[in-house]
Amino acid sequence: MQEAIRPTNLITEQSWRARLFPNNEWVLALVLVAECLIFSFTGNNFQTAGNAFEITRLSVEIGLLALVMTPIIITGGIDLSVGSMMGLSAVVMGALWRDAGLPMPLAIFLTLLVGLAGGALNALIITKLRFPPLIVTLGTFSLFRGMAEGLTRGIENYSGFSPSFLFLGQGYVGGVIPTQLFILVAAVLGVWWWLHRTAFGRSFYAIGFSQEGARYAGIKVRRRLNFVYCLSGLAASLAAVIYVAHLGQAKSDAGTGYELMAITAVVLGGASIFGGRGTVLGTVLGLFAIVILQNGLRLSGQPAELAGILTGVLLVATILLDRLSRRSESKPQTQTSAEEEFEVKNWQVGVLSAVILGAALIVAGSNWLLVRSLTREAGTGSNAPQNASANAPADKKKTVIAMMPKAKGDPYFISCKAGAEKAAQELGAELLWDGPTDLDPAKQNEVVEAWITRGVDVIAVSVENKEGISTVLRKAKDKGIKVITWDADAEKDARDFLINQATPQGIGETLTDEAARIMGGKGEFAIVTASLSAANQNEWIKYIESRLKEKYPEMKLVGIKPSDGDRDRAFSETQNILKVYPNVKLVMGIAAPAVPGIADAVKQSGRTDVKVTGLSLPNMCKPYIKDGVVDSIVLWNTTDLGYLTVYTADALAKGTFKKGDTKISAGSMKDIEVVGDEVRLGKPFIFNKDNVDNFNF
Amino acid sequence: MSFSRYKRELSALIAFCLLLLAVGVAAPSFFAGGNLRDLLINNAPILLIAVGMTLVILVGEIDISVGSQFAVCSILAGVLAKTGMPTPVLFLCLLLIGALMGALNGVLVGFLRLPSIIVTLAMLVAWRDLLRWTTEGAWVQNLPANFQWFGFGQTTGEILIVGLTLLVFAGFAWILKNVRAGRALYAVGSDAEAARLAGIDPPRIVFGVFTLMGALVGLAALLNAVRFSAIPGNAGIGLELKAVAAVVVGGTAITGGRGLLVGTLIGVALLGTIGTALTFLGINPFWEKAIQGAIILAALVSDVVLARFEKK
Amino acid sequence: MFLLRAENVTKSYAGVRALRSASFELRPGEVHALIGENGAGKSTFIKIVTGAVTPDGGAIEINGQPVRENSPSFAKSLGVAAIYQQPALFPELTVAENIAIGREKSGLFGLVDWKRRRRVAEELLARVGAKIDPEAFAGELSMPQQQLVEIARALGANAKILILDEPTASLSEEDTNNLFRVIRELRDSGVGMIYISHRLEELPVIADRVTVLRDGETIETRAMDEVDRQELIRLMVGREISTVFPKEKVAIGETIFELRNLGSRTARIHDVSLSVKAGEIVGVAGLVGAGRTELAKTIFGLEPVDAGEILVRGNAINIGHPCEAVDHGIAYLPEDRRKHGVILDFPISSNITLASLKILSGYGGMNFRRERELAAEYTRRLGVKTPSIHDSVSTLSGGNQQKVALSRWLVTKPSVLILDEPTQGIDVGAKSEIHQLMTELAGQGVAILMISSELPEILGMSDRIAVMAGGTIVKVLDRAEATQDKILSIALGHAGTN
Repeated sequence: MQEAIRPTNLITEQSWRARLFPNNEWVLALVLVAECLIFSFTGNNFQTAGNAFEITRLSVEIGLLALVMTPIIITGGIDLSVGSMMGLSAVVMGALWRDAGLPMPLAIFLTLLVGLAGGALNALIITKLRFPPLIVTLGTFSLFRGMAEGLTRGIENYSGFSPSFLFLGQGYVGGVIPTQLFILVAAVLGVWWWLHRTAFGRSFYAIGFSQEGARYAGIKVRRRLNFVYCLSGLAASLAAVIYVAHLGQAKSDAGTGYELMAITAVVLGGASIFGGRGTVLGTVLGLFAIVILQNGLRLSGQPAELAGILTGVLLVATILLDRLSRRSESKPQTQTSAEEEFEVKNWQVGVLSAVILGAALIVAGSNWLLVRSLTREAGTGSNAPQNASANAPADKKKTVIAMMPKAKGDPYFISCKAGAEKAAQELGAELLWDGPTDLDPAKQNEVVEAWITRGVDVIAVSVENKEGISTVLRKAKDKGIKVITWDADAEKDARDFLINQATPQGIGETLTDEAARIMGGKGEFAIVTASLSAANQNEWIKYIESRLKEKYPEMKLVGIKPSDGDRDRAFSETQNILKVYPNVKLVMGIAAPAVPGIADAVKQSGRTDVKVTGLSLPNMCKPYIKDGVVDSIVLWNTTDLGYLTVYTADALAKGTFKKGDTKISAGSMKDIEVVGDEVRLGKPFIFNKDNVDNFNF
Repeated sequence: MSFSRYKRELSALIAFCLLLLAVGVAAPSFFAGGNLRDLLINNAPILLIAVGMTLVILVGEIDISVGSQFAVCSILAGVLAKTGMPTPVLFLCLLLIGALMGALNGVLVGFLRLPSIIVTLAMLVAWRDLLRWTTEGAWVQNLPANFQWFGFGQTTGEILIVGLTLLVFAGFAWILKNVRAGRALYAVGSDAEAARLAGIDPPRIVFGVFTLMGALVGLAALLNAVRFSAIPGNAGIGLELKAVAAVVVGGTAITGGRGLLVGTLIGVALLGTIGTALTFLGINPFWEKAIQGAIILAALVSDVVLARFEKK
Repeated sequence: MFLLRAENVTKSYAGVRALRSASFELRPGEVHALIGENGAGKSTFIKIVTGAVTPDGGAIEINGQPVRENSPSFAKSLGVAAIYQQPALFPELTVAENIAIGREKSGLFGLVDWKRRRRVAEELLARVGAKIDPEAFAGELSMPQQQLVEIARALGANAKILILDEPTASLSEEDTNNLFRVIRELRDSGVGMIYISHRLEELPVIADRVTVLRDGETIETRAMDEVDRQELIRLMVGREISTVFPKEKVAIGETIFELRNLGSRTARIHDVSLSVKAGEIVGVAGLVGAGRTELAKTIFGLEPVDAGEILVRGNAINIGHPCEAVDHGIAYLPEDRRKHGVILDFPISSNITLASLKILSGYGGMNFRRERELAAEYTRRLGVKTPSIHDSVSTLSGGNQQKVALSRWLVTKPSVLILDEPTQGIDVGAKSEIHQLMTELAGQGVAILMISSELPEILGMSDRIAVMAGGTIVKVLDRAEATQDKILSIALGHAGTN
């Protein structure tokens, strides 16, 4: 073959495929086409221009991060700190604007500088001290988020931004094109040009394949790396500005988990994590493959969790395909390293099949076991909504009620869902139950947008972020969709009715009174909250503190500790509280998973003199209440809350219930009082040893 | 000579001692027996996972799916316990389940040679969402009476958990030093091709390490679960970062081939005590994450500073 | 009775024949040289013997036993061991452990006996005459030391067939002699060795027989004392290569490059003074560790200058980074081609233009058409054998890779060209082409500084020869007065001083 090479024209024409998709992006393009095809059949209103623009709006923040992550990954690096940097930038901007009273443009400018400084810190440690980017940015990942929480004490939630600023994240140019889309398009074009059409961009690929080799060719490797990490910080703070404008609030938890989404998009787009390979086209395709998957599943009424599973599968499948196709077309090599040889031995195939089979068995087995054990436990037997629809008269159009919890996985909301499903079954309505898997205000907006596109009759939301979601809810109202809020309210004009189970003030005061009763009105106590930045909990704490000042001057709140919704964290924080504040007589948990954690810690410490109270679910705390560790918990009947919400929604949609009515008939709950635009569930309820067995939720 | 060889472990140890010193001066009650006992118990599962992570990082890979695997194992521990199976069988089942999940990573990384950070990133998302899908966040409650503390009561149970953890730790430390398979990890991590030429089969080693990692996650999940009377559906969020941070602070090179389990022990101790120490020092918990990040960076920087110091 | 017998072995990679029909025999107690141009199939053949690669056809016998399913561990168990140009030790493991990894046969679950490992390591190191602490980390050793450890490891594994792949490529004369002593001792104890080298002049010194491979085929096996160098070259390339060193007299111009008392602490060089005129080739000779590559790196801005100055055309210049060196017309072809000289996964075109991206850039971004033209021009001019400039450099043979590396610098039109081991590890044909090119460049007025460990090359190509020792230039010889002995004695005489 050596002799065969007698070059006549060395500049060979590359195939159109190689030129258009230099990095095998066609695989992903096919996936994208397949997604679109499938979802146009399964999804409602998937293939509309409005939906296309909505999808792009939702992908701007992650898109910006992913775009800048692309050159970083091409150099063989990684930046895990971008999501945290968004949090820090958001609160810095909020503080500069509100607390320091700076004009908005100046605040934005300074915020971008903060992002740049954060990026420079990463760059400094990576290039000067030569530590692997993975570790350095893992450190700043904690550092930036921690600074954001420290600066705001977790509580501060900056909102009330001017409409002209909010236009940046919520407005439409020409009535259809989301404002921030222009920023994304500009960024895509900018990064594409810079990375693929300039000499500067070329040098990143050289660095990615061989840092030393690039240095020997006279490329300023360190300067290039500094540049790209600084740019990443800058992009993160720009994403934060858009995020704030999009949601109308700036909080320390902005951008949580965005780094993984961005990395996923880049890698899905064919960038090699070892450096040297990757394109902007790939990243954009990867980004949309994820976003469309999420959007399409939502419009098809499929569980959102499928998106995560499918993304995972897609990720492994695309790199596997890429690897295999590279192998088959690999060029003849005179010095083929053994690494290139790809021989799967028989026993390896055996192990492979065994493992896949095993994993499948785990999945199937756990499903079966769980379903069996959970249905047995549920007692009342919550039937799936499909059954409900089967019972409904076929000729009548079913009311479609879309109901959103703050977080799907939260046991509190799961108990609400049981009630909602029961009501939907009774009414023959179709219930869509979807929402963020963790507390995530941005996700809530996304889901509501999808519902508007899909076209539902009623939207019922438990609001995580008042300012952020109200814009979207108003949009829903404009489209003729009835809007209800339940559990937590939005702005009054953004919804038709509120299902009011208890005001934050009512909750705070009931909790304080209950604590006072147990402690005899004096002594020290501590609180374990959800996360330090949880909005509801912080509001309750505010009312608890004012109630203390007002009525119980002899009671002292010695500490507030976070549990992050994690039972185990609540457990160890309580252990610390008991030791550091030995005089504490009561620990109050104000997040559902926190109370069992606190109870276990108190119980295991053997401190019988310490009591536990708080806000949690009766089922979760039943054993501890019976033990006497937990004296009482405060809550309303959550199953009823879900039940009432669906009944109200259905009545609204059918027109049997409207503004001005003073009561509503809600199935087995009989008549419920309505005051103004609030449907009242009743006062918070106190569960104790004597009554806890009467409830099952 | 020996100083320079262990300077990474030393810098972590120095940081740990400084922390203890600060707490000792400001809040001596930190060293009360009860507190140390609680710290030991709370960090035992993390130590187990960090041991596995050390092995994974030693061969030059990484596993960021452990948090999600931990959640799956926790829930399955509860569900299986409710079928009334005896404790030893439960142990075996969880080791097996964990090992299977690990083996899936192992096949993809070891035999199909996909980058581990991508594979485990996919698994991180997939396992977590699969669990959410099936459980919808529900907790496993009403566990049988002999589940908590294996039915032995709190004190015995605690001793059992800590004892088992330390036994596993010591076992792995010994194996890493004295068994050929342990030494093979270093060989594969520092140069896989050279290891292959020396008659070691790197794909098999990588597969084995990921499988072990999974089994350790299963064990950790079980030992963590038996401390409580119910099992939450969202366990182990962020566990992977804790484990990786502990391993790296403990001096293991992220590029593989270098590191000691003693360092990992120091790393787990350092990061595991920061939170408690801050509470004892009366520092506002709002700053905890920032301080944790600063300590990770400081441990890295001290490495360089020590190297400079040594040159002079 | 043969230790190793291979007959008509074939192997294809992705449809391309790497081995057509390789036959080879190795007797106990002989050093059998295996030579051929790069791409002739030596590496593939070695990989088949060591079990790293499975052959497609042909027969292999080791110790008279036919070998069917070979693998690295199986080959090892049969007593096959290989030592590569780049030592393959584990830097984070101790010397004793590195030796044990090749030696101990128990499976993965065997226990490690540390005391025994140490004792065995001491014995084996003594056998190869190395004074190395068994407890030292392998990464802390010098390259020759690592090579000796590898030989000790092979001895420990009771290797009967020892493959040495370019073992002297990066060794100084002294270390080479020590290695040859060890090789002879091994031969006398009955070990059979396959010796691969591009340095034809060392074959008569060490080899008993020689087998020539060309295009994946065994051409001939001869006794070493029956053939001469010219004959071997003819067998390797299939044609006569007339002029070994095409040195021509060219007009020497004025001094364009000068070093005055240059020193760098991190590079361990001091008080280097030298001047190079336009059209002149100055050879830099010296033992490994004398500071030759370090000097080049300091000039090129890869190591900080902390004393003295560098002058180009009489102006003192400051070089803090290679890109400033490039701006001043200095080019450096580094010693390690695969790591520094080219970027293996990059296409040929991008490699060629990597150092001159500036001239390709305008306001509208990069001029891709100009890039393709430049790349094609230099590919043609240097005779790089490739079907397309879009192919990645890793698909090329060593010699062609080196031509690409050199093209990269020619594009920048340098006035000073530093060549560091420009022909190391490349085949005879490409070597001669590169020498031809050097002469051509000198004729165009480029000042060339050539570092080489191959004394004939230094003597054949240089106008003047600077001999380095202990981090500085100790003597500059004229072409007329220089001989191998003279250079060596100067280099050795100062080796101890620092």
